[in-house]
Amino acid sequence: MLPDVSLYQHDITVDVWLYGSLARYGGDANEGSFAHLEVHLPAGSTLADLLAHLGMPTEERGITFISGQLSAMPGLQPDLDHVLRDGDRVGLFDPKSMWPFQYRHGAMMTEEMAAALAAQEDHGLHHTYT
Amino acid sequence: MWILRLNMSDRTYRLDAVPEAYKYLGGRGLTSTIVHDEVPPLCHPLGPNNKLVFAPGIVTGTAAPTSARISAGGKSPLTGGIKESNAGSSFAPALARMGIKAIVVEGQPKEKGKYWMAHVTWDAGAGKPKVEFLPADEYAGKGLYEVFPKLYERFGQKASIAGCGVAGEYGFAGAGLVFNDLAKRPSRYSGRGGLGAVMGSKGLKFIVADDTGAPGVTILDKALFDQGRAKLTDALREHAITKPKGALNTYGTAVLINILNEAGGLPTRNFSSGRFEGAAKIAGEAVFEGNKQRLGKELYNHACSPGCIIQCSNTWYKPDGTEHVSCQEYESIWAFGANCGIDSLDDTGELIRLCNDYGLDTIEMGGTIAVAMEAGLAKFGDGKRAIELMHEIGKGTPLGRILGNGAATTGKVFGVVRVPHVKGQNMPAYEPRAVKGIGITYATSTMGADHTAGYTIAPEILSVGGKADPLSPEGKAALSRAFQATTAFIDSTGHCLFIAFAILDIASGFEGMMEECNGVLGTNWKSEDAAKIGAEILKKERAFNEAAGIGKEADRVPEFMKYEPLPPHNQVFDVPDSALDSVYGEL
Repeated sequence: MLPDVSLYQHDITVDVWLYGSLARYGGDANEGSFAHLEVHLPAGSTLADLLAHLGMPTEERGITFISGQLSAMPGLQPDLDHVLRDGDRVGLFDPKSMWPFQYRHGAMMTEEMAAALAAQEDHGLHHTYT
Repeated sequence: MWILRLNMSDRTYRLDAVPEAYKYLGGRGLTSTIVHDEVPPLCHPLGPNNKLVFAPGIVTGTAAPTSARISAGGKSPLTGGIKESNAGSSFAPALARMGIKAIVVEGQPKEKGKYWMAHVTWDAGAGKPKVEFLPADEYAGKGLYEVFPKLYERFGQKASIAGCGVAGEYGFAGAGLVFNDLAKRPSRYSGRGGLGAVMGSKGLKFIVADDTGAPGVTILDKALFDQGRAKLTDALREHAITKPKGALNTYGTAVLINILNEAGGLPTRNFSSGRFEGAAKIAGEAVFEGNKQRLGKELYNHACSPGCIIQCSNTWYKPDGTEHVSCQEYESIWAFGANCGIDSLDDTGELIRLCNDYGLDTIEMGGTIAVAMEAGLAKFGDGKRAIELMHEIGKGTPLGRILGNGAATTGKVFGVVRVPHVKGQNMPAYEPRAVKGIGITYATSTMGADHTAGYTIAPEILSVGGKADPLSPEGKAALSRAFQATTAFIDSTGHCLFIAFAILDIASGFEGMMEECNGVLGTNWKSEDAAKIGAEILKKERAFNEAAGIGKEADRVPEFMKYEPLPPHNQVFDVPDSALDSVYGEL
């Protein structure tokens, strides 16, 4: 019997990189210092859905990227409702990771992250937000 | 306190009283001021009229945390402009505790190819430092890993060392100044700008300092100083980046490899891409995990210099558990790793070890090997060939002499257009097309492309930028100006720039830094004075550069960054020249 393709035709595939201690959420892909895996999700899935799929509580992650755009920092996670697209690359970092302000000033970020930083006191001109 | 002058023309020394105008200066503020005041801007960097200046910071040698930085300055053989490059080493407090506010190395011996060293000790009877000049020819032409143990055997375990390797003897613009770390390795560098060649040009191989018996640093208001250092210490121990087992202590600065890679801003294969497929194998997380496997236990990082409580310096171990090199930090791993397409920490470790041994700047040499790869001298990713090229540099072969003079020279010789430099200095590990803010600092810094020229330190500096949107080109330029000024101040205190991580986010830490300085100097500086004092330093550096023929036309990123879109975001560097000009135009 042929599989029911209708269940899959709206799936998306996300390229997921887990760094540092988060590699433990990568299952068989755990390389110790990182894990690289492909995750299939129903179309319309959000970042929160991806975290649920990985079994990762959102407070376990730190700096986060969606397709090269900064989407979260420790203490600032405006990306839980971000709808993922097919082919997105998601990078999730250990909360111990860092990205000092001067080394990200002018780098790309998601619209939600830009708005969250603009709403911060000092326009988010800080190294950390915890 | 004294300015110690070492005259290498006749091997004599002099202790000058500190001029009134230099009383409140230290570190970069003092080295840049002396270079500005005494070095003819048009002199040849390797000729008799250049000077090499060392200065500990304002609070160096006290109990202030993470404050053992030694600043070195002179006219740069790499950029042709002023150079300040600092390192963490016990050499800095050794000078400070002997009351030496600066060492000025001047003149030049008539004899070519002869080397001396200066042994600086405390003369308890006379109550001042004394200097003995000794022949150093027996240490010339040798690797620093061979020479340092001999120096320690000869001068004792309390010695601190500043010096140059064979690269400095050859006069390479890529030669750094070496200092000892806490384990007496030749591994702490004032790497950038070729100051090792200035030292070599003066026939000076080493300065060996021993502060045994010295009185220590005078602190005018001890209570205020203690209050300040307690506040700063608390901030460093509390902040996520600087605290024990925090980001820097666990993963080291190389924690940024994966971050910049995800951001699409990790310069790869000579700045032809912003993402490296092998990044995860050479990142700080991989260093931590690799050591854990090879040693059978978790290894946290160590201090590079006395009194550092951040402790970000690492050691990389071989598969058999013996030491390979210290240290594999972000810029060095990136320079030989992603930038050369190399994904092996054992290869980057060996290339870094060779830089330490020959006396070379890892950033400039990684950038140079990448340009050489672009020129076809090696294939990107070929670590073994990169190691061979490093040996050519160390042996001083004709090819090695080209490479040893840096990426810009190598690019010219081999006809490479894509040479990522500003003012002749190769760019560090942040792609300006992906991280525009750092691009503005690279373009405009008095030092050439420099990632340590513009640290974010205080949110109040937003007001310096007026009402400009911080993400507009004008807003970014205003912030870069403020960052560069406050950075020049921290570089003067003697603190490591990494205290900036904590004191930006924890206001009491910033107050603590100012109180420490006020306690030592008897000044009454307020927080807002940091940027003002820093701006005065920048003005002197800028004036030197303009007199040396380096004006605003040099404040540009290389042309290819304006027309070659950088994958994966496919952006070009589009900050208008007017915004770049405003950084120093409105200082």
